[in-house]
Amino acid sequence: MVKFLRMLAISAREGTATRKYPFESSLVTPEFRGRVDIDPAKCVGCGACVRICPPSALTLNYESDEVVLKYFIGRCIFCGMCAYVCPQDAITITKEFELATPELNDLYDEVVHTAVKCNVCGKPFTTVKLVKEVEKRIDGGDMSPLFNTCPECRRKLTARRVGSGVTGVSVE
Amino acid sequence: MSALSSDGLDGLTNGPLEEAFKRLKRSVWVFHLNTGSCNGCDIEVLDVLTPYFDVERFGIKLVGSPRHADLILLTGPVTIKTLSKVIKAIKAMPRPRLILALGSCAVGGGIWFNTYSTLGGYPKLEEVLKKVGVEVDKVVYVPGCPVRPEAIIYGAAVLLGLLQPKVTHRRMVAVEG
Ligand code: SF4
Ligand code: SF4
Repeated sequence: MVKFLRMLAISAREGTATRKYPFESSLVTPEFRGRVDIDPAKCVGCGACVRICPPSALTLNYESDEVVLKYFIGRCIFCGMCAYVCPQDAITITKEFELATPELNDLYDEVVHTAVKCNVCGKPFTTVKLVKEVEKRIDGGDMSPLFNTCPECRRKLTARRVGSGVTGVSVE
Repeated sequence: MSALSSDGLDGLTNGPLEEAFKRLKRSVWVFHLNTGSCNGCDIEVLDVLTPYFDVERFGIKLVGSPRHADLILLTGPVTIKTLSKVIKAIKAMPRPRLILALGSCAVGGGIWFNTYSTLGGYPKLEEVLKKVGVEVDKVVYVPGCPVRPEAIIYGAAVLLGLLQPKVTHRRMVAVEG
């Protein structure tokens, strides 16, 4: 009984502990990481975020004329690595966590890029924006003739060039 | 609440189930089903049940058996080991069966989405449930790693049709400069 009275005094002093959410705003600390937001104006489709993303929530899908960067919120672990690694600062970590939905499709974000097709084999392999960005950063250089060639074909071309340089025989 | 709506019955079309779902809005009994999660989400579920977030405000109460439950709080990526028990638990629930898939694991498999020992979240489990003929009336996906207690409350409100979901599918075209 005495214990109970003591409790009454404590509860009178402390007041109500229960939070009123959803009728009030939630406790969001400055360090809190919610879903990420990709800025389609800044993203060049380099795929750095895709490589670092631990659960592959971000994927690059090569379609015939498009390269689509897909973000599946339902698999994201909100680690923020993509924002850290993005060379264009296109990714921002938002405080958004109210992501519940009955529709799985609602949890997808897509950034659509125009694809560059390899001038040798015709396969889409990168984005127009990325080629432009690389051109800007390395300022031409002797790579420019190979800009529109996919890595695989580029390897073959280089091997041929080196091979014919060494042996003096042109390989076709 | 101004956002109150009667919409929330998309999965329920036949009469008696719809009626049952309407009655459900007042007080939902939940069963916590861990399908092999890391316990992060489970601890957040506990948080929701403590006086701090106090979901009994909405009549939500934790029960010890799926036979008494209206809603399953499903956490984890559904490991192969737990699969048979998960199906049994869901089957034991009376209709309308509601499921709240909590956390990145339950929604999309999380970091375990393509490992050999897990199914990869609720969407994959749903396929199995269809095959064995267990019907689930409504599912709400709640991403988060782990899900915040507030996100769970929000998810429950979306499931019961009290709040509208905020996220939508976005397809943005990269601007070329
Ligand atoms: S790292 Fe940045 S620029 Fe590269 S694809 Fe990802 S969002 Fe786009
Ligand atoms: S926050 Fe982490 S898990 Fe989410 S998209 Fe970025 S890298 Fe992937």
